[in-house]
Order: sequence, then structure tokens, then C-alpha cells
Amino acid sequence: MTRPSEVKPREGDQPGTPYADFEVGAQLPEMQFTVTPEINEEYLAAIDEQDADYYTYKGRPVCAPNVLSVYLLAVLYRRYPPIQGIVVFDQLWKWRHPIFADENTDLIAFGEVTDKFEKRDRKWLRFTAKFKKTDGTLVAEAAHTLHLPE
Amino acid sequence: MSKNANATLEKKIKMTQEIIDQYGRINGDNDTIHYDSELARSRGFRGTLAHGLNIMGYGAGLAARKYGDRWYTEGELYTKWIAPVCPGDDVIVTLTEDGELRGTVAQGSTMVGYAKVGNQ
Repeated sequence: MTRPSEVKPREGDQPGTPYADFEVGAQLPEMQFTVTPEINEEYLAAIDEQDADYYTYKGRPVCAPNVLSVYLLAVLYRRYPPIQGIVVFDQLWKWRHPIFADENTDLIAFGEVTDKFEKRDRKWLRFTAKFKKTDGTLVAEAAHTLHLPE
Repeated sequence: MSKNANATLEKKIKMTQEIIDQYGRINGDNDTIHYDSELARSRGFRGTLAHGLNIMGYGAGLAARKYGDRWYTEGELYTKWIAPVCPGDDVIVTLTEDGELRGTVAQGSTMVGYAKVGNQ
């Protein structure tokens, strides 16, 4: 089992990254973690999902694909530790392969900083990430826009 | 096709600090805006802020009901957070027949977006 806190640097634990230090095109290195049935159950409870029976693929229980959302920022923060006050703006997910809920699934996530800009007196950052199984199967893709505090 | 494919689906929840804390434990963050009410109010908010990704999770649950198997191999979810959700808010998240996703509280819309499969 990999809890997000095991792989995600937390705000305040180390000096955070100022806007100027983010580089467009920077590669966000591979992060390995394991999604387990227990993590999925805890995630479902956190989003008040009271009927896990809705999550099946061809009759087999699957995780909520959005369980990956609690790992997404770790892809960015492992290269660029967070400062306090980061606010999420938008997020796009494409699910491409189920994560089965009756077994452990080892995943590798990696990404890229795709844009940074200043607009309406705010500083913005965009990055993308991919999540693959260890055999190379693409599980999900994500794009995330944040705005950073001054 | 899911039996929910042609209906508007809805999720209602009253936001509490306990829900925010519970989501924070699985999310693994330490962003004080979610946990320090005084700090949040000093920054002009009505209270601590629920995690945007938590509200997204409610919408994703509706999409799982709507799209069934296709959600896991063809699903696409987009959310944009436009206003905060704070403890005490009655949150309503809806997913319409054509895939429009919206979260609202008494003050207005808090999240917009869509959930779709394939080339919808």
C-alpha cells in the first residue's frame, strides 16, 4: 500500500518552490506507488461513496478511477516542493484502463510542466501527468492548472 | 448502457470540517487553508475550504453511475473550481443527461465541467 502522504511532499515540510523556479518543459520524474483495495476503500469513504457496487468493469470490482487524484500533485511536488497557498483551478482526466479493486496495482506516474503565465494579477502553472502500469499499460492521463500565491 | 445514462443525477452533502479532515488524511496534504479557520477568514473566505478534488470526487461518482463500464476505458472528466465550499454549506452536484457537471452552494456555482465517454 502506498498512502499519498508517503510519496507526496507536504506543505511546510521543506522550503517551497517560488513561481520563478518552475521551468516550462521540466520533466517530472517517475514515481512508483501501489493502489490497494484498502486505499480505494478509504478514498471512497472520503468522497462519501456509499455504494461501491456501482464500481464494476465487466462484472469485476474496480477502484474509483479518480482515486488517482490524491496522487496527482505528488508528481509535481516531488520535483517542486509546495508552498502554502496553492489553489487548484481546473483538472482534466482521461481514464484508459481500470484499476481492479480486488488486487494491488503497481503504478508509475510521471509528467511535465507545460505552461506558466501571469494573468489577472495571478501566477499560473500547468502540468500534465500519465499513470501507467508497470507493464506499460496506460491507465490514465491528467492535466492540472494551479494558481500560486505571491 | 447504464440504467442511469439518460437521467440527471444528483449528489447532496452538507460540508463539515470532519469531511475536510477525512479527505485531507487520504490526500496527504498540509495546506493550512483547509484546516485553519482563522487563517482562512483572514484571507477573506467564509471559513476553511473543502478540497476541490473532494467535490470533484462527488461528480466522478455520478459519472461512474451514468456510464458504467465505458467510464473506465473511455471516460473523460473536466472540472473547474470557481468558488469555495466551506463547512456548513449544502453542496449539490449534478450531472445532466448530456454530461454537464455542476456543483452549487447557496452562494452560487462552485464547480463546473463535464463528464463524457468516447467522442461525445
